[in-house]
Amino acid sequence: MTAALPPAGSIQSPLHMDYTYVAGTGRSLFLRGLAQRRLLARRCPGCAQVYLPPPGFCSRCLTELGEPFELAGTGTVATFCVVNFPFPGQVYDPPYVVAYIQVHGADTRLMHLLREVEPGGVRIGMEVEPVWCPDGELAASMSSIRYYRPVRGTAAGEAGEARA
Amino acid sequence: MRDVAVVAFAQSPCLAANRRDDMAEILLPVVREALGAAGIGRDEIDFYASGSHDFYEGRTFAYIESLDAVGAWPPISESHVEMDAAWAFYEAWAWLQLNEGDIALVYGAGRGSLAADLDQVLPAQLDPYFLTPLRPHRDAIAALQACALISAGLTSERQLAEVVSRSLTAATANPMAQKAGTFAVQDLLAAPYVAAPLRGHDIAPTGDAAAVLVLAAGAAARRLAARPAWVRGIDHRMDTHYPGMRDLTEAGTARLAGERAAAMAGFAPWDVEVAELHTEYSYAEPLLADALGLSGVTVNPSGGPLAGAPATATGLLRIGEAARQLLQGGARRALAHATSGPALQQNLVCLLEADR
Repeated sequence: MTAALPPAGSIQSPLHMDYTYVAGTGRSLFLRGLAQRRLLARRCPGCAQVYLPPPGFCSRCLTELGEPFELAGTGTVATFCVVNFPFPGQVYDPPYVVAYIQVHGADTRLMHLLREVEPGGVRIGMEVEPVWCPDGELAASMSSIRYYRPVRGTAAGEAGEARA
Repeated sequence: MRDVAVVAFAQSPCLAANRRDDMAEILLPVVREALGAAGIGRDEIDFYASGSHDFYEGRTFAYIESLDAVGAWPPISESHVEMDAAWAFYEAWAWLQLNEGDIALVYGAGRGSLAADLDQVLPAQLDPYFLTPLRPHRDAIAALQACALISAGLTSERQLAEVVSRSLTAATANPMAQKAGTFAVQDLLAAPYVAAPLRGHDIAPTGDAAAVLVLAAGAAARRLAARPAWVRGIDHRMDTHYPGMRDLTEAGTARLAGERAAAMAGFAPWDVEVAELHTEYSYAEPLLADALGLSGVTVNPSGGPLAGAPATATGLLRIGEAARQLLQGGARRALAHATSGPALQQNLVCLLEADR
């Protein structure tokens, strides 16, 4: 008997796959709004829930959502976390804040980054507003909103800023 | 054994590429149509089972999106298979056999159009050491099987062209077909090879579509359909994953699944009037017909997959089309077959019967 040889170590077999994603009619409506600096919400005619971003139909009632209407975009922090850990592909240097934003007029929460505030100054209930990218960079993409930031000149916003 | 039947079937048109709808948007109208045919609301569904594959979607857990089309709130009982939805059908049937409920909805969302080039994707489904590095063309393993069958005298290029001609002619009566028309055999034989001995028309055209079936047990089935398509026997068998280990001129797992389903049903595959076979390639028809002993049986009256193959919905469509022959047509018994894996590696056979 010969001594057992070590198993084959590794092989190179690089895979590259290109896909076409289909946003769908519901998502497309919202994304096209972002390209025009507009946050478009839709209400379910069945349960009255206002979706932002809106899909094509209510995921509770399975009913087509109503006509889109624009929201100002301001809202409050519903919950948040501070990302402390570095990872490959990260866009911002940690620590930074990721928040669920309860946009005024919507019943669902919008997920986005929260900037222009120190992580230690963020509070649930803080008033926040979207910061849009320059006109030349607007696209049918979530990145048309660069991030959210505390609203200056409001008590809830100032509280966070003061600590920042 | 509990009596379980298909009571409704609906599908969306087979499209080469649907660039308008996301997965939930493709599914929702089909779910509505199936529930409408059964005359029930979704609150009466006890269990949902679905099948799709992330390789076709290009992202992980892609099927989660489809749950928006069945309404995941209030919470539902559901399961998903990462393969053709015919196996989700099997799971729903088994779930009903376990007496967990009376009504199940099975759906398949197949999107073959999202990958820019399936030759980039399909090799990743193969053995990562022995096959993926070779980057076989998507139809190469099938062509090996076709060549082996022709060399063994079990079929011929002319017979394959006849299968295609008959299938595409049948598809002219199927409004959901992706491809249909009248083609002369000699014209088909004049077409160039894609992977010899296979020509373009020998290969099922991939695309996008959804299929939805409603299954019900016992009294519920009789309540929901005038002529339920009873699942009298169903079985699936799997062969080893390395094609070189197999005799490609045999469809042994299809034969065995047919025998097991027949033992359960009390009638044989050749006792049916109609068979819907998951023929991803034309050569699969003579191979499967031989393995299942289907002489004198009408095969793929819908046109079959050679007229439209929406990826992981293709096998479930076969069960739906076979059930339709009983639900709406005059057939008494039908067979549905589904396959998964390269060169008919895994096969499912379902035997359906209507009341006299």
